[in-house]
Amino acid sequence: MSKIARANVFERKGHYLGPDTAVLRYYARGMNVCRAIYKYAVATRVSHWLWVLAFGALVSSGLQIFNAAPFLDAFDRRDQSHRVLSIDSPQDGVGTTTLFGHVFTTTTWLGWTPNGMGGYASRAFPSWITIPSFQDLADGRRWHFFFAWTALVAWLTWLISSAVKGNLRHILLAPSDIPKLWPMQAYYLHLRKAPPPYGLYNPLQKASYTAVLFGLAPLVVLTGLSLSPGIDTIAHPLTWILGGRQFARLWHFTGMILLVGFWLIHVFQVLTQGVINQLMSMITGWYRPEEYQTVPVEHR
Amino acid sequence: MKRRAFIARNPAFNRLLSSVELVNHALIGTRGLAQTYTMSEISPVFPIESLPTPADAKYRDLVASHFGNYRLIVDGAVEQPAALSLAQLHSMRQISEITRHDCVDGWSAIAKWSGVRLADVLALARPRRDARYVVFYCMDTDERGTPYYESLDCHQANHPQVLLALRMNGVPIPNDYGAPVRLRVPTQLGYKSAKWIERAEVVGSFAHLYGGDGGYWEDQGYQWYAGI
Repeated sequence: MSKIARANVFERKGHYLGPDTAVLRYYARGMNVCRAIYKYAVATRVSHWLWVLAFGALVSSGLQIFNAAPFLDAFDRRDQSHRVLSIDSPQDGVGTTTLFGHVFTTTTWLGWTPNGMGGYASRAFPSWITIPSFQDLADGRRWHFFFAWTALVAWLTWLISSAVKGNLRHILLAPSDIPKLWPMQAYYLHLRKAPPPYGLYNPLQKASYTAVLFGLAPLVVLTGLSLSPGIDTIAHPLTWILGGRQFARLWHFTGMILLVGFWLIHVFQVLTQGVINQLMSMITGWYRPEEYQTVPVEHR
Repeated sequence: MKRRAFIARNPAFNRLLSSVELVNHALIGTRGLAQTYTMSEISPVFPIESLPTPADAKYRDLVASHFGNYRLIVDGAVEQPAALSLAQLHSMRQISEITRHDCVDGWSAIAKWSGVRLADVLALARPRRDARYVVFYCMDTDERGTPYYESLDCHQANHPQVLLALRMNGVPIPNDYGAPVRLRVPTQLGYKSAKWIERAEVVGSFAHLYGGDGGYWEDQGYQWYAGI
């Protein structure tokens, strides 16, 4: 990175990344003195890796649960006119996916797929993506409920710890970030030479983390809860707002698809932006920004 | 895949996974009333996903007699065991409710159910102080001959919406939907709403029955608390 990035880091007063407030560490690298920044608190790192574990288990066991009723309806009355998605096997050896009435042939991927026992079967999602691999709703439910609690406890731990330490402001999209969203995107698209000034996270990161942690995460939790007939007896309005139990199932599935989309982009970015540095920072907490690799003379 | 199957079958890991069932039961429980619906919301087709309708001589005779020979046995830890005919059940206070049936598979269907409150039947038999659960014995069996059964604790059994249903959508319950008497537990998943009930036994524990987990599906790994 160039002068501008360095200016962003060192000349903005009162920002977290300013030398007056950032937790920095010096380390030697060859002939240079370098700095690392303490980017992730313990609670953030622990909950991040718990989410990695729980997210994988929740998606896989959730698809196992979906396989028991491989369709999504938009009405509790259960009539075919309200069917949004169904994954079927109209005959042995053929898998089809019907989305809003449009039929796609998806043999071996959806509908007619590996059964986890060496063969193929009429099965919506294939064995290589479900937990357990073979068809077992009871096991799928056990995994799902356990890791739902794991994810929720991790989320609460992160939320409370970040709020108490006053760190939430770094990740929450503020109104002042909104005008910076397009310049940041333009920078990524090589339409702009330099990013707009920002703190620990850039405006697009803030927007996506805010959407995931405070939008999609509560959405999948609430829609998941409203599938429970027991919860429905306590929290009528929740199921009602979502449009009923089957609609909640549809939202729950949609939330999962969006989270998987976020996950794909997230992993792509980690892989393309210094994967070792990124992974190590999420393990140790210490991140080595490019602009910190060589420390300017006046800051030594 | 073998590896995942191995993890999924590991008993200690399974106990860990199942530990949250207690939390779910404690937090969610059965606290309120299930939603009720209007006549226009009744499902045009109500799916059947239970064990097969009984086809043995005993059930055929019951059908032939229009269930005139049917008796609902209520016994176990009660002061006054009873054998109730359909006529006796019909002479008791009848409750109607249009409620949603939530299958563990994920689908839902809505129907109007009428019958007697389980609580009213239990009150006739007067459970003793050591009563903790009601076990329901059913006439349907799986292909290995294992009979269907279910259980509720006393709190769930006394819920005002829990019915011994005699009618479905205004007519006597069709054979395939559990005639002559089925349970309706709208606050929990469908597998609690046992069909073809012939006996309700009040017990202190169900650990000695069949697989010991309190129900046909529970014995195969499903949660006893079916509110989630």
